[in-house]
Amino acid sequence: MSTMEMDPVFTAALREALVATVKDTPRVRRRWRWRVGTGTFLGVTLVVGGVALASGVFSLPGAPVNTPLGNVITATRTGTATIDIGTPPATATDVSLALTCLTVGTFDFPDESSMICGSADLIRPSIYRTGSEVVPLTAGVDTVTIKTSPNATWRLQAMYVNQVTTSWGVNASGETYGVANQKGTPDLVAVIINQGHTDGYVKETELNCAAGGDVASLAEAAAWDKTSQNRNITIPVYESDGVTVVGTFTVGSATGPNAQTVPLSSLSLGC
Amino acid sequence: MRTFLVVESPGEEPEAWSASLDNDANAFAVVFDMHRDRLYHHALRMTTNVHDAEDVVAAAFFELWRLRKSVRVVDGSVLPWLLVTATNLSRNLTRGIRRYRSLIASLPRATEMRSSEDVALERIEETRLATNVREALGTLAPADAALIVLTTFEYYSPAQAAVALGITDGAARTRLHRARTRMAAALGTLEDDENINATKETNL
Repeated sequence: MSTMEMDPVFTAALREALVATVKDTPRVRRRWRWRVGTGTFLGVTLVVGGVALASGVFSLPGAPVNTPLGNVITATRTGTATIDIGTPPATATDVSLALTCLTVGTFDFPDESSMICGSADLIRPSIYRTGSEVVPLTAGVDTVTIKTSPNATWRLQAMYVNQVTTSWGVNASGETYGVANQKGTPDLVAVIINQGHTDGYVKETELNCAAGGDVASLAEAAAWDKTSQNRNITIPVYESDGVTVVGTFTVGSATGPNAQTVPLSSLSLGC
Repeated sequence: MRTFLVVESPGEEPEAWSASLDNDANAFAVVFDMHRDRLYHHALRMTTNVHDAEDVVAAAFFELWRLRKSVRVVDGSVLPWLLVTATNLSRNLTRGIRRYRSLIASLPRATEMRSSEDVALERIEETRLATNVREALGTLAPADAALIVLTTFEYYSPAQAAVALGITDGAARTRLHRARTRMAAALGTLEDDENINATKETNL
């Protein structure tokens, strides 16, 4: 064995360990994000871009406020199982769920959000392998079903809540601002930029346009995908007045030597 | 006039790295295959034995995955980032690698494990130079050491090194000048010490 070559046994084992690590890395798929904005296309772009839409942030206008009702029900199960969470209080609107994976596996919440846990996650504190969702009550149903991959063990904490969605703000120009919720999307959508250091708002129209607008067909979506492979588009981030610019929000995930980041204002996208 | 070797990244790396970011394990393995040898050679220069060099390579790739979202890509390549990370891990071997120690320890190694003494005897001149370089780099601030590694040993331009280190081109050039001066001074001191020692040995 030459000293200038890494031990082949170690190299092969390391390669295998790296492959296993990547495969085991959990990806929490928040399907509800896909409903944010105008459709799946927008949701995917934002999530892949790694920039958080401030949906569900407590203090922002339009965010839901959950008031706990009753006790927390805790249950531990293996595999797909249904938990009886008792009769809901009269004022309950939703049930708040916190699911912790105790083994590797895939875990599906009732609202189709799902969580994947790999072996690397199991050595981490439980807070890092807990996914939370608040799902609306279905009349006459007082159970929660978690679907999992075979032999996956999990712990669920469930609690009834009363959810009130706060109102969006309205600025001097009459534009609504806040977070997207079940009522739709405000004119100015709350975003977080600069690794969480800056809150602001982007115009929904500009966000839609930078994310590809409303695609009418799969062919259109594919064409946009191809165009945006090497292109990120920036749009202004404003204060709630919709006028004062505090930063830029990047839509897209293009990287590499051919990647370009251009402002929306420099493009003629017709939207 | 100093000329810089333009380091071109392999054509497929941007694609492999991009796929890796989408959790494509095979693509990440391709990135590993592309850079493991060059990283190992660098780690050999920075450590005292092959075992430590292998540990540094392993930890650097695990760090590449852990920090994948903030890795700085230079001209489509993650190699400069890996080199900087390996430099830092080598300088602080115990603490930097601790995160992965049990994982790395669980990886099998060939039974034909060679001691650092064997390696040293085989490559006595190379080892002496490597030891001097390592000790001289140890006198520099971490960022300055990484600059020297990228520009002097790995032939990246100051502009490329600046991207890898997240500093401006101007700052890289200023720091590089300072780092080279200190490095030269440190190497000079080490050479002087060796000459003194050699003289002492001759006189014995």
